Amino acid sequence: MDIEQKQAEMIDHFMKQASSLKGSAITPLVLEATSNPSLFAFSEILAVPSVTELEGTENATLLDTLRLFAHGTWSDYKGNMARLPQLVPDQILKLKQLTVLTLAESNKVLPYDQLMQELDVTNVRELEDFLINECMYSGIVRGKLDQLRRCFEVQFAAGRDLRPGQLGNMLHTLSDWLTTSDNLLVSIQEKIKWADTMSEADKKHQKDVEDRVEEVKKTLSLKVS
Amino acid sequence: MASSSSSGLTFKLHPLVMVNISDHYTRVKSQMNPPGGDSAAVKAPAPPPRVYGCVIGVQRGRTVEIFNSFELLYDSATDSLDRAFLLKKQELYKKVFPNFYVLGWYSTGSDAEESDMHIHKALMDINESPVYVLLNPAINHAQKDLPVTIYESEMHVIDGIPQLIFVNSSYTIETVEAERISVDHVAHLKPSDGGSAATQLAAHLTSIHSAIKMLNSRIRVLHHYLVAMQKGEIPYENSLLRQVSSLLRRLPAIESEKFQDDFLMEYSDTLLITYLAMFTNCSSTMNELVEKFNTAYDRHSRRGGRTAFI
Repeated sequence: MDIEQKQAEMIDHFMKQASSLKGSAITPLVLEATSNPSLFAFSEILAVPSVTELEGTENATLLDTLRLFAHGTWSDYKGNMARLPQLVPDQILKLKQLTVLTLAESNKVLPYDQLMQELDVTNVRELEDFLINECMYSGIVRGKLDQLRRCFEVQFAAGRDLRPGQLGNMLHTLSDWLTTSDNLLVSIQEKIKWADTMSEADKKHQKDVEDRVEEVKKTLSLKVS
Repeated sequence: MASSSSSGLTFKLHPLVMVNISDHYTRVKSQMNPPGGDSAAVKAPAPPPRVYGCVIGVQRGRTVEIFNSFELLYDSATDSLDRAFLLKKQELYKKVFPNFYVLGWYSTGSDAEESDMHIHKALMDINESPVYVLLNPAINHAQKDLPVTIYESEMHVIDGIPQLIFVNSSYTIETVEAERISVDHVAHLKPSDGGSAATQLAAHLTSIHSAIKMLNSRIRVLHHYLVAMQKGEIPYENSLLRQVSSLLRRLPAIESEKFQDDFLMEYSDTLLITYLAMFTNCSSTMNELVEKFNTAYDRHSRRGGRTAFI
């Protein structure tokens, strides 16, 4: 949540700049936005009309780069290196961070091997350094590194920009969550009722036993006397 | 009389103050009813008494933090508070809490009244802008938030005459750890003798139930919001959507093999212990029964002509 606050100012800044510029003037802006160390959200910039106009023009690669940063990963970039412009080291770093975020989307436990493959890192030390310095200290990810089992357990990962279909998935997840908690509430109530009924039955049983003991005592005392 | 405040002060109220005020009110109210009650006399419902007192705390810059309160006697004849007592109490509190100042006063009732302004003005020589904390003792189950309102006095021009009127101010609740523990304790109200196992279980389950219910209602709000966004009624707000997606990714909260193993192990441990305890109980009851049987049908006493058993 704090990441969103940190980014909010920058997003506003870039949006204002983007709406005033047009055409190829946007190139340095895109470069700046994608290399900025604290900016991870690009869908607002993508929504600015002067940026969407770039579709189909000779600067369409700019739009593609922005889209790559919004939704794609490092492997996407490697696959499409021919079409997309060369990235500067800052952008490469940013893209790798975003890749980690995407990976965290699917699993909570990320094995080192998968991470090393996705990020093009060869040894564990480098991977851990990258995770600690770039991802955890910048606050986009929170989690625990398990070196013995060679995996990274993610507790919290900042959100990336939404793909168009993701909203449906999110709604689905939310409604599932709601149904589960509703069912849980119902079963808790039943358990409470069960506990109450059981204690009632127990008290009744105790009372019955005591009554019978009293009865027998009376009959015995009558017999004796 | 009350509009919204414009002074820009932020108020922080401690729960101790509210507990003190309600305690004062309850005591006075219960002492008013004649103890034992006269069944012959018609108990006319007396108007709820108004209690008065002083609130003390700290004012740092624009933040006013109300820590504690004490009671004051209200003299309805002269329509003023007991001055000497107030000063004495203030001195005593100063010795214990040197930082605390008299920040204002409190009373109970449903709404601020004209007569309150007199008391307010009287206090203005101790603190140039006192606060007035009003507690509404009527219990309203439908109301979700606290029946406490904080009023400040402001100079407004009404009908050409500058007058002091009360204006409503918002406040937040601030707790120290000790206060939080005591409020939590009161809120749960476990049966004092520990109750039977069933009542403890029911109390525990009830607290879990209310916690999950709150979570449920908040998620429902999110759900409605997203549905509306999808239908297009609300424009897309990307930052919020990102936060929601990161939240949803935290589910399922725990789902690893190790958790299952540990959980099932603890579950079977608990069941085993319950089983063992039950066994012990059963065998001791059985032992008692056998003893009683032996005593009743002992071979030495052939009173009933019964044959001996072992």
